[in-house]
Amino acid sequence: MPEDRSYKAEKVIERLGKKLNRQVVGSLAACVHCGMCTDSCHYVLANPGDPTFAPAWKADRLRKLFKRHYDWTGRVFPWWVGAKSVYTDKDLEELKDIVFGKCTNCRRCSINCPMGVDFATFNRMARGLLVSVGVMPEGVAVVSKDQWEIGNQMGVLREDYLDTIEWMEETIQDELDNPKAVIPIDKPNTDVVYTINPREVKYDPRTISDAAKIFHMAGENWTMPSEGWDMTNFGLFSGDDDLGGSVASRVYDKMHELKGKKIVISECGHGYRSTRCEGQNWAGMDVDFEMESSVITMRDYIKEGRIQVDKSKNTDKYTYHDSCNFARSCGLFEEPRELLNLVTDDFSEMYPNRSENYCCTGGGGAMSMSEYAPDRLKSAKIKADQLKATGANVVVTSCHNCVDGLADLIKHYKLDMKVTQLVNLVANALVIPEEAEVAVKEPDEVETLKGLFAGKKIMVVDDEPDLRVFYGSVLEDNGAEVIEAADGDEAIGLAMAELPDLITLDLSMPGKDGGKVFEALRKNDATASIPVCIITGRPELRSLIYDRPVPAPEGYLDKPVSEETLIRNVRKIFEVGRAMEKQPV
Amino acid sequence: MNEHGLLHLSVQFAHYALVIMAIVYTFRIRWILGFKAGKERQASTGTPGRTDPKKGYMYSLANIMMPWAMESTRKKFFLYVQFVIFHLGVVAAIVQTFTLPFATKLHQHPIGGIAFTVIIGLAFLVGVYRIFRRIFDKYIRAISSPDDHFSLWLLTVWFFFGTLAAGYPVDKMTAIGMDGNLAMIIFFFMTAFFLLYVPFSKISHYLYYPFTRFYFGKSMGHRGVFPIVRKNA
Repeated sequence: MPEDRSYKAEKVIERLGKKLNRQVVGSLAACVHCGMCTDSCHYVLANPGDPTFAPAWKADRLRKLFKRHYDWTGRVFPWWVGAKSVYTDKDLEELKDIVFGKCTNCRRCSINCPMGVDFATFNRMARGLLVSVGVMPEGVAVVSKDQWEIGNQMGVLREDYLDTIEWMEETIQDELDNPKAVIPIDKPNTDVVYTINPREVKYDPRTISDAAKIFHMAGENWTMPSEGWDMTNFGLFSGDDDLGGSVASRVYDKMHELKGKKIVISECGHGYRSTRCEGQNWAGMDVDFEMESSVITMRDYIKEGRIQVDKSKNTDKYTYHDSCNFARSCGLFEEPRELLNLVTDDFSEMYPNRSENYCCTGGGGAMSMSEYAPDRLKSAKIKADQLKATGANVVVTSCHNCVDGLADLIKHYKLDMKVTQLVNLVANALVIPEEAEVAVKEPDEVETLKGLFAGKKIMVVDDEPDLRVFYGSVLEDNGAEVIEAADGDEAIGLAMAELPDLITLDLSMPGKDGGKVFEALRKNDATASIPVCIITGRPELRSLIYDRPVPAPEGYLDKPVSEETLIRNVRKIFEVGRAMEKQPV
Repeated sequence: MNEHGLLHLSVQFAHYALVIMAIVYTFRIRWILGFKAGKERQASTGTPGRTDPKKGYMYSLANIMMPWAMESTRKKFFLYVQFVIFHLGVVAAIVQTFTLPFATKLHQHPIGGIAFTVIIGLAFLVGVYRIFRRIFDKYIRAISSPDDHFSLWLLTVWFFFGTLAAGYPVDKMTAIGMDGNLAMIIFFFMTAFFLLYVPFSKISHYLYYPFTRFYFGKSMGHRGVFPIVRKNA
C-alpha cells in the first residue's frame, strides 16, 4: 500500500528502477536458489548453521524488492515467488545491516554461482540505493563526506599532504645522502603521475618514501599531483556512482592538466579497481592515457634493469594475500607474485589463491563500519586459518585495505605474523650504487638524532605495561622526558599536573576509554592545545575520535607501531606544530 | 471420452501449451532486452594476452560442463552429478513428448526405450532427493519460495509419470493412434500444465542463463579473470 510507505522507502523503489540494466536484471531474475554459492562465503563458513549469511539469502533481500515492483510475476503473485516490498525506514535499516554488515562485496560467490549471478554487483547497487536516501553506517557517511568535501577519503588537508611529501622527500634525501632525490609536485609532461591512498599520508608515509626512492633509483621522470592525488574511491564501497564518478574525474582531470603519460596507482586493491576500471564507467568518460598498478611498474623496473635488487635483504618467510579487487575483479594476480619472487627468496602460496582467494574481511569498506566489527572479526577466522597454514611470518599484500584488515585479524587471532606491501620489500631490497650510498652518520650526527626530542615532555597513555615501556624507551632514547599513565583517569590527572608537550593515547582502556580522555583533554583550557597522537589496535574506532565535537588529534597510528614509525610521527607532530607557530596570525 | 480420446487430447494440449510457452518466452526475452546493457569503458586488465572478452564468455557459457572450473561444483561433486542427471531428465522428458507420439520406433528400440526410462527414472530419484534437501537443509529452506517447492514437486511428479510413460509396452504404441494408459495420459496432461506454468516460474531460469553467463563472462574476460587460473597445493 503505497500510502503507508515512508518517503525513503518510496525513493528506494523508484531509484531501483533507474539503476536496472540488463546484467543486473539477469542476475536478479536468474537465481534458482540452488545453494551452490553458500560455502563460498567466509561469513557462512565462520557462522555455520546461520542461513542469514548465505549469499543467496542476502541477495534475496533485494531480489524480493525487485520482483515485487519490476518483475510481473512478483507483481501478480508476490507471495508465490517470494516478492516483498519495503515500507518503513526500519525495513531499510534491516536491509542496510545485510548489504553493509554481512557482505564485503568480495565477489567470491559470484564466481561460484552456476548461473552467473553477480551478487556483489547488485549488493553494491543496494548499498547505493540506501545511501541515496541517507541510510548507511555512520562510518560510510563520515568517509563519504570527507571524500566529497575535502577530496580524499581521510580528510587529509592539502597542507598536510604537501607537508608529508616534503617530509618524505627529506627522508629519502637523508637515506640516499643525495639532495637530488626529490618528490616533484605538479611537474608537467612527466612519464609517470603517481597517485596514492590517503592512508599513506596519514598512517603509513613510509610507503611514499619507499616509492619515491624506487622512482628516483629508476631515473623515472615522475611527479605527484597536488590535487586529485587520492586514487581510492569510497563510491565503490558505498555504491554511490555519483561520488565514484566525481572522485575518479578529479584524478583524470588533474592528469589532463599535467599532461602526463601514465598514472601509476600505488598498491591499493579498491583504488586500482576504482581508478583503473570503474571510474570511467561511473564518470561516463573515456580517458586517453595509460593507467597501471605500481606493482607492474616496479616489476618492469627490475626486469628492465632500471633498478637493482638484492633479494637476500628480505630475510623472512613470505606468503601473498590476493586482494579481491586486484585478483577477482581486475585479474592482477601473476604480476605481484612475479615481483615478490624477484625480491624475496622464501615465498609460499596460501590456498586457495588468486581469484579464488578469501577476502581479508576488511574489504567493501568494512574497516570503516565499526558497528559490524564483531561479525567481521568472527568471519576473519577463515582468513586466519589460511594464513596460519602457510607457515609464513610475513604476509604481503598489494592493498591498503587488506593491510588493515589483515593486521586486525592477526592481532585478534594472535598470529605471529606481520603485514607488509611489495613497495616496502622492493625498497628494502634496492641496491644503492656507490655514489648514492647512505652516508654513515658521524658521531655528532648520531648524538643530534639521539637528542631529537630533547627538552620535550611526552606522556604515554596505555593500559598495557609492555607497550608503555616500549614507547617510553624509544622516546627516552631520543631525548624526551617520558611520563606514563595506565588508565584514563590517571592520564587526565597527570596531563593537568604535568602539561606535557605531547600525549600518545591508547583508545581501548579499562575505565574511561581513550575517546573520553581525548575529549576531556581537548575541552580543558589547560590541556586543549597539547598535541595528541592516538595509538590504537582497533582502527575501526576511528569514528570514536573524529566524530567528537573537538579538534581532531594531530596523529593517529595503528598498532603494532615500530620504533621507526613512532619516532617519525612524533617528530612530524612537533615539526608541524613549529611550522604552525611560525605562521603569521 | 475413452482412454484413446483422452490420450489424444492430452497430446494436443501439450503441443498447444508449447506454443503458448514460446509466446510468453518471446515476451520475457523482449522484457530483458528492454533493459540497456551496461558498458565497460576501461581498457582490459589482467595479464596481457592471456584472455579477452570472447574467451571470457566462452569459458563462462561452457562453465556448466566443467565441474572443475568452480570451487562450488568441484567441492560438491555429488550435487553437480545430480544436477546433470536432473537436467538430462528434463531434456529426455521433453523429447519424449515428441518421440512418443511421432517417433515411436525410437521407444520400440530396446536401447532407446530403456535409455529414456533410466534417464527420466534417475531424474525422478534426484527430484525426490531435492525435495528432501529443500525441506530439511536449513540453508536451502531459508531461501525457498512456494514457487521453488512447487516447481520441484511438479517436475518430480512429471518425471515419475514420464518414467512410466517411457516404459510403456512398445507393442501398444502406434503413432498418435496408440492405445493409451493412465500414466501416459497423466504425463501428457502434466506436460501441458508444466509448459504453461514454466514461463511464470523459476523453471524459466534457463531463459536468463545465457544472458547472465554471457555478460558476466564477457566482463570477467575483459578484466583478465576468466578463464580462472588455479594453483593447487
